[in-house]
Amino acid sequence: MFFGRSKRNPVRIPTKPVVEWKYSTCNYCSTGCAIELGIGSDGKVVTSRGHAEADVNRGKLCIKGILEQELFESPGRGIEPLLRDTNDRPFTAVSWDQALDTSASKIKSIQEKYGRDSFAVVSTGQLLTEEFYTLGKLVRGCIGTNNYDGNTTLCMASAVSGYKRSFGSDGPPGCYEDFEHTECLMAWGSNLPEQHPVLYWRLKEAREKRHFPMIVVDPRVTMFAQWADIHLPITPGTDTVLMNAMLYVIFDEGLEDAEYIANHTNGIEQLRETVKGYDPKVAQRQCGIDEDTIRNVARLYAKAGVSMSIWTMGINQSTHGSDGVCNINNLSLVTGNIGKPGGTSLSITGQCNAMGTREWSSCSGLPGYRLLENADHRQEIAEAWNVDADFFPPKVGLKQTDIFPAIETGQIKGLWLVATNPLTSMANQGRIRKMMEKLDYLIVQDVYQDVETVEYAHAYFPAAVWAEKQGCHTNSERRVNLTRNALAPFAKSKPDFWVFNQMAKRFDNAANMNFPEDTETVFDEMKQLSVGQGRTLDISGMTYDRIEQARGLQWPFTQANAKNQQAGSPRLYVDGKFQTADGRANLISVNFVNNNEVPDTEYPFWMNSGRVVEHFHTRTRTGKIGNINKFSPTPYMELNPDAAVELGINHGDYVRAISRRGDAVVMVQLTQRVPPNMVFIPFHYHDCVNRLTLGLLDPYSRQPAFKQCTVRLEKVSQTLAAQLNLQRRAF
Amino acid sequence: MSGVQLWDTRQTEPDYAKLGPAPECASNVYGQAIDLIELLDNTVPREQSLYINDNPAVGENPDRNKQHAFYFTADNCIGCHACESACAEKNETPSHLAFRSVGYVEGGSYPDFQRMNISMACNHCDDPVCLKGCPTNAYTKHTEYGAVLQDPDTCFGCGYCTWVCPYNAPQLDPVKGQVSKCNMCVDRLEVGLKPACVSACVGNALDFGVVEAVPENRSQAKTAIPGFPDPSISQPNIRFQQRSELPDEMTRTDTAPIKYRRSAEGDGYHAVLDPKLGKERSWNLGKLYSHENPLVLFTLLTQAAIGLVFIPALGAILGVDALHSVLTGDVLTFVLITAFLLSAGGLLMSTVHLGKPMRFYRGFNNLRYSPVSREGFGVAIFMAFAVITALASLPRNDLLNSALEGVAGTSFAVLDGSWLTPLLFTTLTLALLGGAGGLFYMIKCYLIPARPFWNHWQTASAFVGNGLSLGSLILGAIVILLVGVTESMPVLQTLAIVVAIGTALEAIGLIAHRHANRADAQHEGAASQYVQVTEFGKTYVLRNVLMLLNLSLAIFASLGSGDLLLVAWALLNVSIVCAALLGRALFYVLVIPTTMPGAFFWRNKGFADHAREIGLQKVVDAGLV
Repeated sequence: MFFGRSKRNPVRIPTKPVVEWKYSTCNYCSTGCAIELGIGSDGKVVTSRGHAEADVNRGKLCIKGILEQELFESPGRGIEPLLRDTNDRPFTAVSWDQALDTSASKIKSIQEKYGRDSFAVVSTGQLLTEEFYTLGKLVRGCIGTNNYDGNTTLCMASAVSGYKRSFGSDGPPGCYEDFEHTECLMAWGSNLPEQHPVLYWRLKEAREKRHFPMIVVDPRVTMFAQWADIHLPITPGTDTVLMNAMLYVIFDEGLEDAEYIANHTNGIEQLRETVKGYDPKVAQRQCGIDEDTIRNVARLYAKAGVSMSIWTMGINQSTHGSDGVCNINNLSLVTGNIGKPGGTSLSITGQCNAMGTREWSSCSGLPGYRLLENADHRQEIAEAWNVDADFFPPKVGLKQTDIFPAIETGQIKGLWLVATNPLTSMANQGRIRKMMEKLDYLIVQDVYQDVETVEYAHAYFPAAVWAEKQGCHTNSERRVNLTRNALAPFAKSKPDFWVFNQMAKRFDNAANMNFPEDTETVFDEMKQLSVGQGRTLDISGMTYDRIEQARGLQWPFTQANAKNQQAGSPRLYVDGKFQTADGRANLISVNFVNNNEVPDTEYPFWMNSGRVVEHFHTRTRTGKIGNINKFSPTPYMELNPDAAVELGINHGDYVRAISRRGDAVVMVQLTQRVPPNMVFIPFHYHDCVNRLTLGLLDPYSRQPAFKQCTVRLEKVSQTLAAQLNLQRRAF
Repeated sequence: MSGVQLWDTRQTEPDYAKLGPAPECASNVYGQAIDLIELLDNTVPREQSLYINDNPAVGENPDRNKQHAFYFTADNCIGCHACESACAEKNETPSHLAFRSVGYVEGGSYPDFQRMNISMACNHCDDPVCLKGCPTNAYTKHTEYGAVLQDPDTCFGCGYCTWVCPYNAPQLDPVKGQVSKCNMCVDRLEVGLKPACVSACVGNALDFGVVEAVPENRSQAKTAIPGFPDPSISQPNIRFQQRSELPDEMTRTDTAPIKYRRSAEGDGYHAVLDPKLGKERSWNLGKLYSHENPLVLFTLLTQAAIGLVFIPALGAILGVDALHSVLTGDVLTFVLITAFLLSAGGLLMSTVHLGKPMRFYRGFNNLRYSPVSREGFGVAIFMAFAVITALASLPRNDLLNSALEGVAGTSFAVLDGSWLTPLLFTTLTLALLGGAGGLFYMIKCYLIPARPFWNHWQTASAFVGNGLSLGSLILGAIVILLVGVTESMPVLQTLAIVVAIGTALEAIGLIAHRHANRADAQHEGAASQYVQVTEFGKTYVLRNVLMLLNLSLAIFASLGSGDLLLVAWALLNVSIVCAALLGRALFYVLVIPTTMPGAFFWRNKGFADHAREIGLQKVVDAGLV
C-alpha cells in the first residue's frame, strides 16, 4: 500500500501574505466584475480574487481578471515621458513638464494655423469615468476642438445609436438578473463564453436552475452556438432580414402585444408595411435560415411569457448596426418585452467603461447624455464649468472613423490618442498607416510604450493602469462600480486624470475653470450634473463609500433612493415611458440593402473576425502575461477542412489571405466551426486581420463593419511566412 | 481548527466553492474503500496534520480521510481557461508549466459540429503510477483526501513520473530541473473549500468532492470520455458526465496523429491513427537529437557492458571452446574493467540527464516500487562486483604479471592459490546477477501502459539483442588487442554467431512490434509507427537495411576466415554501432504517450517545435522555454 509512509514529505504550497484587501472593478470588459486586490506588507499586490458579495460576478472571474494583478509589473510599460521632433528619430526622455509644455504649445500652434478643429482627440472605453469627464472638460472647455471621440465608435456606437433612435436615449434597459426571469433568450452576434465569460456563467447558473430556450444567431459554431437549443448559422450581415422575417411572422400570426404597442409606441403602421416584404419564403434566400426555422423561432420568441435579446459585435460591427439594434428593440417592443424582469433588449457592451464614456466623456455631446445641438444643454454646462457657452460648437463633430479620413484629406493635422491603438485596431491598416504618416503632431498616452501606434508618435505619455488609479466604471447593466487606488503608479507613469489636469493648466480657459485634484470631488460634480428633468442617468445618490458598500449601484440612483436605503434601479422604462418627446418608444422600420462586400469568384471567402477569451483588444495588456498569451501567442485563422483540401492547405500551415485592401500571413487552424466559404481571424493581432478588413461605416453610428468582407487564400513559402510572422510580433 | 489558518477564508464564501456531502456508498466503482483509514484497516490515525508549510493545524473537514476526486461535466466546458489561470495564480506557476490544462477534441461537419473541451489535472489515482515509478520517493499518497503530493525538493528531475502518468499531470520544469504538480489545493480542502480551479469554473463544468459523489443536477459518474486514457492503468479519481451525443469520430487539433473513434462494440471511443501529417517519407536526422540523448548512450553502454561480461560467461557455461578460453586468460581482467568503465560512462550519462545531477544518490530511494531505482541498483551491483572480480583476477593475469616481473621483480601471481577460483566464481556470479537484474529492470522501466509504443516485448528483445551484438564487438576488440589478429580468428567467428543471434533477436522483436503497432491498432502505438514510416521514414528504412546488413555480415563472418573475416568484422563494427544508435534514438523520439489532447497552441508539440525552430518563443511569451 502506498499510504502511511512513516516519513511523509513536506507539503509546500505558495502562501499569499495579504495585509489588506483593496476594492476594485475589473478593467477589461463591460461585465464589471468586482475584484479584491490583496496587498502584501511591501505594498505590492500579492494575489486577487473575485469579490464574493458583488452581485455581478459573485466571486467569479475570467482568465483575464484572475491574472490582472500581473499587469502592474508587466513588460513594455511606459517608464517616463518621451518626445521627438519627427517620428523617424529616436525619442528623448523628458520631464512631465517638458512633455506637457511642448505638447500644449504644439496643439495651440496647429489650432492657430489651421483652426480649432484641426487638432483631434480620440480616447477609449478603458479610462475611469472621472477621467472621461475631466478629459471632456479639457477638450470641450479648454482645447475647444469639436473633433473628439472615443474608440467606442469601433465597438458600441451602433448600440448607442439604436437605443437613442428607439427609446430616445442611450442606456441599456435591462440587467443581468433578467437571465433569472426570462423564458426565452435570443443572442444576436454574441459569444458570451469567450467575450463575457462571467456573464455566461450567470446565464448558465440561471439555466441550470430553470431551463429556458436559448437561440444563438452566429455564422460560426461557437461553444455558445453549440449549446443553444437552436443555432441559426446566419449569412453574414443579414441579421435585419431575419428580424424582419420574424416580425412578419409575429404580425401575420397575431402574436404581437397589441396593447403595449398601442399604449407605448409610435410607428406600428409603417413597421407592418415594411415587414410585409420579408415573408420568410423570400427572406430565407437572403439570410440563409430556412423559412420553417424562422417561423419556429419567431413563435417561440413571441409566445414566451417574457423574452429577452442580447447582442454584441455581431450586430454592432455592421453596416446595418444601428438598424439591427433598432430592429432588436422592435422585436422587444412589439412583444411587450421592455422593462420587465426577463423581458428586455440588452446590449452586452465591450469595454469596461464604454458606458462611462457614453455617459460622461462629452464625446458625443456634453456630459450626462446632454447634446451640443441643444442650446439649453450648452448653457447648463457652460455655467457649471464657467466657460462661455459660445465656446461650444452647436453641432457634434466627427466620429473616430471620420476623424481619420479627415487626416487623410488634410483637415486634421494633430491628434492625441488616449489608451487606444488604431494602428492595430482600425480597419484597412494600410490606409491608416498613410494617415498617421501625415500627422504634424501625434501624442500617444498609454500604459505601454510598445503600443504599435507609438511608432508614429511625437510625444509619448506613460499612463498608470487600473488600480494605480482611483475612480468608477459603469458596466453593461448601468452599474457604477469603484476602483480604489491600491498601489502607486509604475515608474514615472501618471494617472490619466493627473495628465488631463496638468494639460488643462496650460490652456487659457482653465484659469476660470475648476479642475479638482481628486477624483471623488469630480464625482460629486458629475452627481450635480446628473440631476434634472426626468433624466434617467441620475447618480446623485451615490458616494464612493456607498458604491463600495453595495458592491456597485445601478443608475438611476437618486438622492431619495439613497435616503431611503434603496438599491439601484435594475431596469429602465418599467412604466413604459421613454425618453422621447411624447414618452413613447419609436418602432423604426428597417429596410435591408445589401451594401457589403460579398464573396465572388475572385475573393471566394467571407472574412469574419472576433475575440478570443484570453485576449483583450490589441493584446497590449494580455500579450504581456505569459499565462494568458500562451493560449494564442500568434495569429491564426479558422478554416474549414473541406475548403482546405481543395486549396491543398494543411492544418498548421501559413497561408496568405488577400483582400481588396491588402494581405496578411496567418497560420491555419482547420475546423468545422466555420462554413466552407468563411475564414475567421481573431482581431487582436497587429499586422494581421485589419490589413484585410474593409470597414464600411454604419450611416447612423459611423461604426465600421469589421466582420463582413471577403478574401482569397494563397499558399506561401512556409519558411518566408514563418519569418514574416516572427518579424511582425513584438509581444 | 488549531493553529494558524491554512487558507484565508472569507465569511461570505459562495456555496459553489464549498465542499459538498460525501456519497452514501462505502466503496468506489473499482470496489475499493473510499474511507482511506478503513482501507488501511485502521493502521493509521485519523487526526493527522498534513503540516502544510509546516503548519501543524488539522483541518476540520469531516471527510478529510476519504478519497476525493474531480468531477468533470464535459457537456459544459467552454474552454475558457479560468481553471488553468486560477491554478497558475494560486500555485504561482510560470507560463511554461501548468498543473491543469485544457485541450479539446472535435467532430462533425458545419454546422452539425461539436467541440468537447477537456480540463485535466492530476487525478490522484488509486494506483499512483507516478509514486511507484519515482526513484527518489518524492511522492506521497496521503490518507488525507487521498491526495498524491509530490515534493520538488526531493525530486532530482529524472522525469520518469512524466513518462508513466497517462494524464500529463507531473510537470518537469526544464528551468528548475525538477518536477512539480497539482497539490489538490489541500490547503483549501482543509477549510472546507473546493480547489481553486473548481471554484473558478465559469462553465459549471469542473467540480470536486468525495469520489463517487455525484453533484447536484448531475446524473452520471462515468470513468472515461473520448480522449481520456484507459482508466484501468491507474484507477484515476475523476468522474465524468458526458450526455450529449458526439459524432462518431473526434479529432485532435494538436499534431499528435491520433483521433478517437466510437467503437463498434459500443464501449466508448478508442484512440486510432489519424494520418494527418501526410505520407511523405523524410530523414529528419536532426530531430533524432533529443533531450533523451543521454539515455540513448546510457542504455546502449550499459547493455554493451552487461553483454560483454555475459557472453564469455555464458560461453563458458555452455562449453563453447572459443569463449571458454577467454575466461581463463588475461582477457578476463580487461573485460571486467572495460565493462565497469562502460557502465560508469553510462551512469554518468544518465546522471547528466537529471534535472538536478547532484542529487543522483537519491536514485535508490524507492527500491520498494520503482524500476528506475532497481535498475540503478542492479547496475551498481554489476559495476561493483565487476571491479572486485577484475582485482581478484589479477593474480592470473599473465600479461600483467610477466610485465611486473620484469620491472619490479615480483607480481600478483604470488597471491594465487586454490581459494581464488571459488572467490572469482562468486564475485563474477554476483556481477552477473547484478547485470541481469539491472537489465531486467531497465526493460521494466519502459514497459509503461501510458506509452504503448514501448509497452511491448520488443523493448526486451532490443535491449538483450543490443547487449549481445555490442558486447560481442567489444569483446572482439579486447581479444584482438590482447592475443593478436591471427589468434583471434576462432573467437571472432564465434562472436559473429552471437552478433547474428543478437541481431536476429532484435529483428524478430521489431517485426512483431511493427505488427502490434499496425495502422489499425487501437492505441497510440499506431501513431508512433505512422510517424516512424513518414516523418522518419527514410531513417527507418536505413536502420532496417543496416539490420539486414548486420545479419548478413555476421553470418558471413562466422563462416569466413582470413582477411575476408577481418573485413567483414570491421564493417560489422561500424554498421552495428550505427544501427544501434539510430534504433535507440528512434525508440525515444517516436513514443507518443496516452496523454490528453492538446489545444492548437498550448500543449501542441507541433506548434512548440515550430515556435522553437523560428525563435518565436524568444519574442513572445508562448509558454515555451
